Amino acid sequence: MGKTILEVKELTTKYITRFGEDVYAVDHVSLSIEEGKSLGIAGESGCGKSTLALSLMGYYFPPLHYTSGDIIVEGQNISKLDPDTIRKNILGTEIAYIPQAAMNALNPTQKIIRFIEDVVHVHEPKMPKKDIYDLARKRFEELGLPASVLQKHAVELSGGMKQRTVIAISTILSPKVLIADEPSSALDVTSQKMVIKMLRNLMDLGYIKSMIFITHELPLLYNVTDDIMVMYAGQIVEKGTAKEMVFNPTHPYSKGLMGSIIVPEEGTRDVKLAAIPGTPPNLKKPPSGCRFAERCKYVTNECKLTTVGLTEFGDGRSYRCIVPIEKLREEYANE
Amino acid sequence: MKNTLRQVFHSPKFVAGFIIFVAVLMTLFIYPLFNPGNPLQMLALNSFSKPGTYVSVYDSIDTDSIVMKLPGAAEKRLEDKLSMDDRLAMKEWLVTAGVPEGDIDTTDTTNLLKIWKEKYDPSIKPAGMTIAKRNYYKRLTIDLDKALNSNEVTIATPNAETGALEEAKKINDTDYVNTKDVTNAITLPLGTDNFGRDVLKELVSAARTSIMIGFIAGIIATLIGLSTGLLAGYVGGMVDELILFITNLFTVIPGFIILILISYGIGQENRGATTVAITIGLTSWTWTTRSVRSQVISLRNRDHVNLSKLSGHSLPRIILSDILPYIASYVVMALILQISTAILAEAQLSMLGLGPKTTEVPTLGLMMNWAMVYSAHTHGYWWAYFPVLLIIALVSFSLNLMNTGLDQVFNPTLRD
Amino acid sequence: MKGYRKYFGKKIVWFILTLFIAFLLNFILPRMMPADPVANIMSKTARGMSDTNATKAMYDNYVKAFGLDKPMIVQFFTYIKNAVRGDFGVSFSQYPRKVTDIISSAILWTIGLQLPAIIVGWLIGNLLGALAAYMKKGFDKILMPISLFMSCVPAFGMAVIMLGIFALKLKVAPIAGGYGFDLIPNFSWTFVRSVIAHYQLPFWSIVIISVGGQAIGMRSMSIYELNADYVKYSRFLGVKDSKIVGYVFRNAMLPQVTGLALSIGTMIGGALVAEIIFSYPGLGTTMLSAVTSSDYPVLSATTLIITIMVLISSFTIDVIYGFIDPRVKAAQFD
Repeated sequence: MGKTILEVKELTTKYITRFGEDVYAVDHVSLSIEEGKSLGIAGESGCGKSTLALSLMGYYFPPLHYTSGDIIVEGQNISKLDPDTIRKNILGTEIAYIPQAAMNALNPTQKIIRFIEDVVHVHEPKMPKKDIYDLARKRFEELGLPASVLQKHAVELSGGMKQRTVIAISTILSPKVLIADEPSSALDVTSQKMVIKMLRNLMDLGYIKSMIFITHELPLLYNVTDDIMVMYAGQIVEKGTAKEMVFNPTHPYSKGLMGSIIVPEEGTRDVKLAAIPGTPPNLKKPPSGCRFAERCKYVTNECKLTTVGLTEFGDGRSYRCIVPIEKLREEYANE
Repeated sequence: MKNTLRQVFHSPKFVAGFIIFVAVLMTLFIYPLFNPGNPLQMLALNSFSKPGTYVSVYDSIDTDSIVMKLPGAAEKRLEDKLSMDDRLAMKEWLVTAGVPEGDIDTTDTTNLLKIWKEKYDPSIKPAGMTIAKRNYYKRLTIDLDKALNSNEVTIATPNAETGALEEAKKINDTDYVNTKDVTNAITLPLGTDNFGRDVLKELVSAARTSIMIGFIAGIIATLIGLSTGLLAGYVGGMVDELILFITNLFTVIPGFIILILISYGIGQENRGATTVAITIGLTSWTWTTRSVRSQVISLRNRDHVNLSKLSGHSLPRIILSDILPYIASYVVMALILQISTAILAEAQLSMLGLGPKTTEVPTLGLMMNWAMVYSAHTHGYWWAYFPVLLIIALVSFSLNLMNTGLDQVFNPTLRD
Repeated sequence: MKGYRKYFGKKIVWFILTLFIAFLLNFILPRMMPADPVANIMSKTARGMSDTNATKAMYDNYVKAFGLDKPMIVQFFTYIKNAVRGDFGVSFSQYPRKVTDIISSAILWTIGLQLPAIIVGWLIGNLLGALAAYMKKGFDKILMPISLFMSCVPAFGMAVIMLGIFALKLKVAPIAGGYGFDLIPNFSWTFVRSVIAHYQLPFWSIVIISVGGQAIGMRSMSIYELNADYVKYSRFLGVKDSKIVGYVFRNAMLPQVTGLALSIGTMIGGALVAEIIFSYPGLGTTMLSAVTSSDYPVLSATTLIITIMVLISSFTIDVIYGFIDPRVKAAQFD
């Protein structure tokens, strides 16, 4: 057992819509990551995985609001800190973020190095520009990026180059946790591979201590992360090691999800999961029982009535279903 | 479609703009029903008569009067008669006669007259005062006495045979007539213009013509913009290049200048309201072309359009059923803007003297032009131009408000 | 550097082309008159003239200036040649004054008034638009309708209203003209003070009108940029809000620069008419008197000069834009 870097307990956050309704996009989520490990979070679009990524940083602005729960980074509980402290002491140095649409994540009219200066100055206001340049150049070269990129504007970079630049900028201050929200989804296969290699590199070089990798592409998670969590309608429905989750999913939703994307295809993001008919519930009025009940093949009357909790079943695995594990396994075997 | 309309009518900005516009339009069509007649008819021989009710002085003599004793009526009359120059002259005399300057308040008529009565003595000859000036003071005093004391005016008519004046009627300073009883009276809520026309009646007619010019020009510009934009965006290639070139050209070369050149070329005699509207329409389509073109380009390779192409649908059918519905909102917005810019363009053109010919119908621009040519603005005849401006601003504001409302419905990022 | 050269090369070719077409339109459009232009013009102009020699001289001058006996194409090139030399013939209404004289005495007034007014209006408008987008609630709610209403008041309307308030009611500004009517242009202190006093009303009325439109444009651009991904990303790296606002407004401002280049042609029309209201001795007033006195040579020269001025200013803005927005350079490499 390594040292725990990030521990999240029962984190709940909500969106407040224009009409004043609450939408709980992250609902009592708990997780923990040890040093040197990576965690994958999977689910359909709209399941709350991107919101979870944003919520984990403890830095909220409308329409997203914190409701309850704890975020502990190396023993320090950051969930109750005021936003300015988080901005200065946590973001970038403790937790860093790679956004979903890295294509547009860089200010098109600013030179890369100028932005790096701005980022570094948040934490080291006195650091001379020369030192920042040296740091950035060293880091860029170590990560296989030409130093000339620093003097360019974002518009002059290709898509894959932009994404790798974003990763290098995010990790420039050697954060303890890196949260990568679909860092490779919009890229071609070659660029995708380079991005994955770069993330591994960062771990190996010790610039990041742990990583959370969010994606809808499950095969990718199997290659990149140690553990996988599956989210559905704001809740975690199952978690376990990558291997177990891919080859032996237990929850009917995980089962469907794994079954649906064994072969990655172009444009899977837009296509509805063929194996799971129906759409996720409206989170403005979540159903009282199991949130997956409406779409579940194995649904019983009881499912819609009782609140379903996570059940652990050894090996650090747990799932959110009232159907006993043996019965599910039996059902899967019969298909 | 129904859903879109409902969404549009839920936008407060659109609804506000719509209500203002419809209210203006309704007024323009309903007012002439109550006050029919030729808006270009010249009523007054004077120019720029003030707003108000005018009663015939001639008829009011014959109108039955009643006696009213209004408190302070005489003072009021005096106050009106006594000009500031007279008051200052009175003060000057009194000061030379030894009244302390601080005691005289030229704005307090009653008190001034009291002091004057006490102190004025025509026999005193202040040093250095000319005879003319002394006579002026004598005349002034007689006038003042008359105004205060004489309470009758005699109306006399010449006898047809002898030619001598005969008393027809005596009018007391306490006689009043009801303006409603006077046979000939006219209410001019906005006065008259330089030609002596009823400004309100003219304004209603002008606003209607201007809005019509706006609609004709807007529709022409939108049709040209829509068809060139569709052609450029959908066909692409050389056609696109050519249309884009022309569009860019007319974006940088000021449309207003082209408008001036064409209008001048057509000549004053041939410029009717419709001709001006068409000319404006022909010179203001570039923005519509641009926005339609870019919309069509982004639509051109969408799945549903490709599907239609593969199914062998004809070009008109693809445009009508697969492209137009998607750009309809932009086209409507462009049309609304075109209407408001066309109304403005007419006004500007008319102010340069290049508007529709002046003999047929008034337009907002022509009214503005007349007011400026006859210097209404430097003399403070606000009724001749301010209502015109207000109508232009109101119509244009309501149209722009509708446009902003639509923009927010169709571009959600702009919502606040 | 290659990107820039390509960009400027394109812009220069485009500028020359538009200039040529502007000449062409200026030449052709008034000639589309149904009747014989010269006869038409002469009959109108000469009516009030008793001096037959002057009429004859004018007619000859006109025929010569336009080479009316030669084919259209030759006429056109004669026209360009004359225009380039600055020879626009002789005025009809102020015969025998040269058109060039009339124009050159008016042009500085127009440039001196319009250029600063448009730039100041653009700056204030952008500032207000950015504020409206950033503050959103409250400020935005009040400012938006006001600037929308402001932008709907036509240029000449604003001029008339300001004239009414400041010159007639408050009597803090002169009513008309570019300087006191009792003065002769020179560089004395009295004259300069008079010019400054007469400058205020036309200047501010043009500023106020251009503010509204710019503010609305800047507000939409800023809202669009505030929702951009880089804003979110910068925030999550801990960058200060004030710094991010700086990024946003720089990026929103840049398209406004090209916006200015495109809208300058529209704005000039309104601004010229505003000159008329104040009888400002610029090109707008020149144009009005040319129209009312059917002074074709003056009108034609005025429209041409205005078009050229607009083309030059939008060309200049484009060139400046190429330097300040790196996106232009990147686009040229595609």
